[in-house]
Amino acid sequence: MTATDHHPRHRLDDLLHNPVRFSIIAALDRAGTLGFKEVRDAVEITDSALSKQVATLESAGYISVGKAFAGKLPRTSLTLTRQGRAAWKAHLATLREIAGESS
Amino acid sequence: MDTPTPPTAAEAQLLLDRADRLSRSAHNATRWPYITFVLALGVATSMGTFAMALTTGTAFGLSYFGTLGVVFALMLFFLAGIRGRSAFARSRRWTGYIASWFVTYAAAIAVVIWAHGSVLLAGIASGLILLVAMFSAAREARS
Repeated sequence: MTATDHHPRHRLDDLLHNPVRFSIIAALDRAGTLGFKEVRDAVEITDSALSKQVATLESAGYISVGKAFAGKLPRTSLTLTRQGRAAWKAHLATLREIAGESS
Repeated sequence: MDTPTPPTAAEAQLLLDRADRLSRSAHNATRWPYITFVLALGVATSMGTFAMALTTGTAFGLSYFGTLGVVFALMLFFLAGIRGRSAFARSRRWTGYIASWFVTYAAAIAVVIWAHGSVLLAGIASGLILLVAMFSAAREARS
């Protein structure tokens, strides 16, 4: 093992390194659960782009997708899972560590 | 497949700031109907129960049906406001707010029934409703 292996960048979550996925999880951090449209508006991306990243995050177990109906309209909700929250906290902690290097 | 490029210290700080900003804005955009509802519910039921405890006859009827009408309108507003939003509806925190409000409201209704005309008890019970609602709204706003 070399000294460079200890650099915090090695602990960054590859899945959350993607800017869109990073933003999706960031939007869900405080709220826990949000509607698909709310996340789309917060992240400012198209429905299809969001769907694609949501599928990736769901298959990784970071978010769960709920389907319900409000009247006749389908409503999709996105919830940050326990696993997703743990990964997010670890990712943020690593970023803080990297940010602290400059000081 | 994404090729992760490790961020520099400055970029990491920017990412942290962005995450915090996004998290706050997404949360703020969804919780305002909840804060408005719990505050308005507290004000309406506090004033309503106070009026009910101290009035009789037509005035009592007016305060009774007036309170019911306002609560009904608030519930309609709330249901319309959270349509498609599910950020807090099933959260433990939200259940706590409503349960706290209900306990104080039940106490105020008990005063209306069993201590009708007592300004002191009506003031305490209705004041408690207002306090609980304001505390809940403030807590939610600061979370």
